[in-house]
Amino acid sequence: MKLSAHYNKASIIISIIVLIAGGVVYFFAINHISRMQLDRDLTEELEEVVDYVNVNNKLPKQVEFDEDQTVFTKTNETSLPARFFDTVYTDNKEKKNEPGRAVEGLVALNGQHYRVIITESRESTEYLLQVITLITLALMVGLLLILFITNRYILNGLWRPFYGTLNALKAFNVSDSQNLHLKQSNIDEFGDLNNAVQTMAARVKHDYEHLKHFTENASHEMLTPLAVITAKLDALIQDEALKPEQFDQIKDIYTASGKLAKLNQTLLLLVKIENNLIDDAELLHMDELMYQKLRQFQELIQAKGLQVTEILGTKNISVSKYLIDILLNNLLSNAIRHNTDGGKLLITLTDAELIFQNTGDAKPLNSETLFERFQKGKKSEGTGLGLAIVKNICSLYHWEIGYRHDGLLHTFYIRF
Amino acid sequence: MKFLIIEDEQELREIIANYLNEDGNICECCDSLRSAIDKLSIYEYDCILLDIGLPDGDGFTVLEYLRVNKRTEAVLIISARNSLDDKLKGLNIGADDYLTKPFHLAELKARVVAIYRRKVFNSNSTLIFNEIVINLPGRSVEVNHKPIILTRKEYDMLLYFIANKGKVIAKNAIAVHLWGDEIDMHDNFDFIYTHIKNLRKKLLEVTTNDYLKSIYGIGYKFSA
Repeated sequence: MKLSAHYNKASIIISIIVLIAGGVVYFFAINHISRMQLDRDLTEELEEVVDYVNVNNKLPKQVEFDEDQTVFTKTNETSLPARFFDTVYTDNKEKKNEPGRAVEGLVALNGQHYRVIITESRESTEYLLQVITLITLALMVGLLLILFITNRYILNGLWRPFYGTLNALKAFNVSDSQNLHLKQSNIDEFGDLNNAVQTMAARVKHDYEHLKHFTENASHEMLTPLAVITAKLDALIQDEALKPEQFDQIKDIYTASGKLAKLNQTLLLLVKIENNLIDDAELLHMDELMYQKLRQFQELIQAKGLQVTEILGTKNISVSKYLIDILLNNLLSNAIRHNTDGGKLLITLTDAELIFQNTGDAKPLNSETLFERFQKGKKSEGTGLGLAIVKNICSLYHWEIGYRHDGLLHTFYIRF
Repeated sequence: MKFLIIEDEQELREIIANYLNEDGNICECCDSLRSAIDKLSIYEYDCILLDIGLPDGDGFTVLEYLRVNKRTEAVLIISARNSLDDKLKGLNIGADDYLTKPFHLAELKARVVAIYRRKVFNSNSTLIFNEIVINLPGRSVEVNHKPIILTRKEYDMLLYFIANKGKVIAKNAIAVHLWGDEIDMHDNFDFIYTHIKNLRKKLLEVTTNDYLKSIYGIGYKFSA
């Protein structure tokens, strides 16, 4: 749930509670005030009646007290405190009953006590109350609506720089050549956030660049000593006085230095791909490349007695020849290397996919770590970088690479 | 042939000089850009082996010098920088070939021989080794005036062996030469043996000289 939605929810619930409580209090207060007003009117009326009786020594006629209805009844009671009560007011002209308010009092005329009941219509006050209630309700609804809209749009607008920063962070790739660019915000908090994020990104990038340079330099520096080792070995084997055991040892050194050289080149290649330094894309026929590759590997395939089935549709693709060569090399040599003797190798190329399937170890590979650097099988003689390179090349061209194992075949697929 | 080896790593310089210093070849060495230009301004060479990363500058300067002075030396760049751009730059300003460190001496020799041959004979040449006559542009081989049919790999291998005649060549070097170092050989060189066996058989069908010798499982030697 978004922050603005959380805020919206809380503010609206609180507003509704406050408004309802306020409305109830308001309603009762107005009701009370209007009733007091009525009662005061009635008290005045009663006093007027008493004055009239005292002055005129007779009971007043109905008409003399405009809308109010006054009823006199004889009573034997000598004292009666003034009492106010709700009653029904019958409008004689319109012949209908309305809510009314009455006061009961006692008036003495010629020694005879009369109970006076003055009833006044409450309709106008009721009406007033209704109007006030309606206006209040309308105001409440309006207020809530405005609150909702304000929260929704203004808050979202306020948070927009934050989402901008967030999206920029999500898209941030440490190996990208571009720097992190954030829009300046005139809100202090977001401005601070952007500055902090930008500083951090710059530092991370700097460290990463540093590391990459280090890898590159280290790899370069190692090439010359490696060249010395290889050249020395080449010179050493010219000496035919060496014993066979010594040749055996030299062979092992050759193997090791060869592997080291390969490792170095691969690391350098990884750096280059990550730095996006290889941009010699050209339109290539993938199917033709695949046939060439199979021809290039035919000795290896024959040595293992593999049964190769290739179903290659035409596929033209704009890529670097150098990189696609490496990609196919790595996938094909893996499929051969990890195959069983006399096993199967299936290669399928369609417009959408390139699939390598091979027999091999019965156990599936760990697809989570498979494409990471230096992840290799126990029996693998490789550098452990082959699939990392493949993955990097795929992500350079925005292809999807994956692995599955269906109990018999190890399958690597690339979706273009 | 007269070589100039421009390389700042002393060990490498010496070992290359040693390897090439046969058949009446002369090797001169220098370890910096300045001494290279000094030498080039006085002497002429057949072939220059040039390291790009020199302590006092960029090896490309040597190429510029040669171009400006209209020199005809064949140049092989040896570089630790395996970058396509460097390769193209080098080849564009007059280098004849480009070799990335680390390399096998046999590979170096084969490349040097090839570029020299290209430069001097303009590739319209035949290569003669005893009774073996190789027509380079036609890629055909005759032994004792009888043509023999070689596969592409066998032909390349034969040229490679002749360029390195009398030397023991490691299997690794042969593999890299024939299949390139991009292909991962898994240190399984059995299939090299198949090619060698076939080449040897084809040669032995037309000549009594057995030129190819296996050396203790480490490699092969082609010698008269």
